[in-house]
Amino acid sequence: MRSRFAAVCRYEFRMQVRKRSLWVSTVGLAVLIAVAQGDRGPRHLPAGTSAAEVMGSWALLFSMLLPIGFGMVLADRLVRDHRIGAASLLASLPTRPGALVAGKYAGSVAATAVPGLLVLLVTAAGEFAHRGDLTLFGWAVAAFAVVLLPGLAFVAAFALVCPLVVSAPLFRVLFAGYWFWGNMLGPAYLPSLTGTLLTPIGDYPASWLMGEKALYAGDSGWLSFLRPEPGGGAALLSVVLLAVLASLPLAFAGPLIARRTSS
Amino acid sequence: MDIMISGLRRRFGRVEALRGVDLEVPGGMFGLLGTNGAGKTTLMRILAGVLSPTGGRVLVGGHDLTTRAGRLAVQRRLGYLPQDLGLYPDLTTQEFLDYIGLLKGLDDDTARRRQIGELLDMVGLADVAGRRLKGFSGGMRRRVGIAQALLGDPALVVVDEPTAGLDPEERIRFRTLLAGIAGHRTVLLSTHIVEDVAQTCQEAAVMAAGRVVFTGPVTGIIDRAQGATWEVVTQGPPPATGVVVSAVGRPGGTHYRVVSPTRPDPAAVPVQPSLEEGYVALMREAVPS
Ligand SMILES: Nc1ncnc2c1ncn2[C@@H]1O[C@H](COP(=O)(O)OP(=O)(O)OP(=O)(O)O)[C@@H](O)[C@H]1O
Ligand SMILES: [Mg+2]
Repeated sequence: MRSRFAAVCRYEFRMQVRKRSLWVSTVGLAVLIAVAQGDRGPRHLPAGTSAAEVMGSWALLFSMLLPIGFGMVLADRLVRDHRIGAASLLASLPTRPGALVAGKYAGSVAATAVPGLLVLLVTAAGEFAHRGDLTLFGWAVAAFAVVLLPGLAFVAAFALVCPLVVSAPLFRVLFAGYWFWGNMLGPAYLPSLTGTLLTPIGDYPASWLMGEKALYAGDSGWLSFLRPEPGGGAALLSVVLLAVLASLPLAFAGPLIARRTSS
Repeated sequence: MDIMISGLRRRFGRVEALRGVDLEVPGGMFGLLGTNGAGKTTLMRILAGVLSPTGGRVLVGGHDLTTRAGRLAVQRRLGYLPQDLGLYPDLTTQEFLDYIGLLKGLDDDTARRRQIGELLDMVGLADVAGRRLKGFSGGMRRRVGIAQALLGDPALVVVDEPTAGLDPEERIRFRTLLAGIAGHRTVLLSTHIVEDVAQTCQEAAVMAAGRVVFTGPVTGIIDRAQGATWEVVTQGPPPATGVVVSAVGRPGGTHYRVVSPTRPDPAAVPVQPSLEEGYVALMREAVPS
């Protein structure tokens, strides 16, 4: 059973990491962010700023836009088995649907993480050139792990499963709308999830790294019980909650695929 | 593994794809013929454990396919080539076979690689083992499809229209390959191409509108047109009664071969039927138009 999961994971990783649109969208968005940020962006942090804050700020900035690309390039991973015509074969193999779904999820998340991590490491190299602090690389990895990765894992679960219910293009539109509403629309304007623990943009973890409120974390608004003061505990709680939420759609994936294959 | 099917039903919404199928498939190569929409694919998907029946019984090698445990037991010894199988375009042939092999539970790396190598040789794809599947022709894809089906040395091989759309040479190679592997297993081959069955199967079944309308030795299909196959040579219009199976224009007039229970023309002479003519006669009885 474990080796089946590992096999699916390995090959889903290969297929996803070979997808050109993953690289084009991630690198494209990252370059856009690096170049077009305003003078309050991390590029303009004063000398002497801690490495944790520098990389935390970069990670948060990337985390605003990169996951949109991630969601788009992950949206076909489960449904494409039906489109390509591989679903019947997969269903005829002595591998449980649970192992397939888990392996596809883990493999495609890992592959999608590769360009994301590289973007942060390249950024760390750029910062290293004028700050000369080697710990920047360590913080780049840490910032990736706590800011970008939980959001990616959360986005991936919905991106894989939702297109089993709605069409992939419709999902992409809804997803982009949700992303701005749930992450960047200030809670003072309209009721939104922005600034809550459920924000996959990494507001709480980034606040913890930066030692100050990163974006809207903890701002008063709708669902105030989800808006504690930012800090280490709140950051951890945010990551755990996102992981729990991500497991919900995945639990439905197996039955949804089976229903599709058998109708 | 022998297959015993009785009273098998499957419904899709309002469509009844299988309306009580009774069929016994012994070992060796077994042909499954039938019109479009007859239910061949539905039957094969049930045998592969992809679909559950709405009613009836299916035993494969003694395992009951209506139970989860039975399906899993059969799937462990199954090779399945679905109709219109799609391959992951971004994997190489070698990788695709490795992936499917792992999913079939071939966990021993050395043994799996050796088997993949042997199968690639057998289907003539060893040269392109490292090439992405993206640009493969229809014939090459079908060969990858049969190679994956044979991984794990299955006792039951179910192939759904593997020769459709192949050029004649490729088609002949393909069906010969299938016949070659049927020595010590059950191979169930569905097709529209009567000739493929004639050349490779001793036993066959014919389906029409969700039922099995014939099962037995292939020669039994030919017998259905015995005494009902005629040749007519005329310069006028084709015979009005019966089904014209072939028409060949020659200097003295057009030679028609006709399947008809009665003499279609005063000048018609009875001839020895072919399998195709037997099939046509059978279909006329099964689904009168
Ligand atoms: N998933 C499905 N949903 C709805 N109807 C279906 C489905 N699969 C098959 N059918 C219907 O069931 C009937 C039998 O289809 P099936 O594909 O089994 O026939 P077939 O003998 O394989 O035909 P062909 O030779 O064209 O491949 C057809 O009327 C078809 O429309
Ligand atoms: Mg079919």
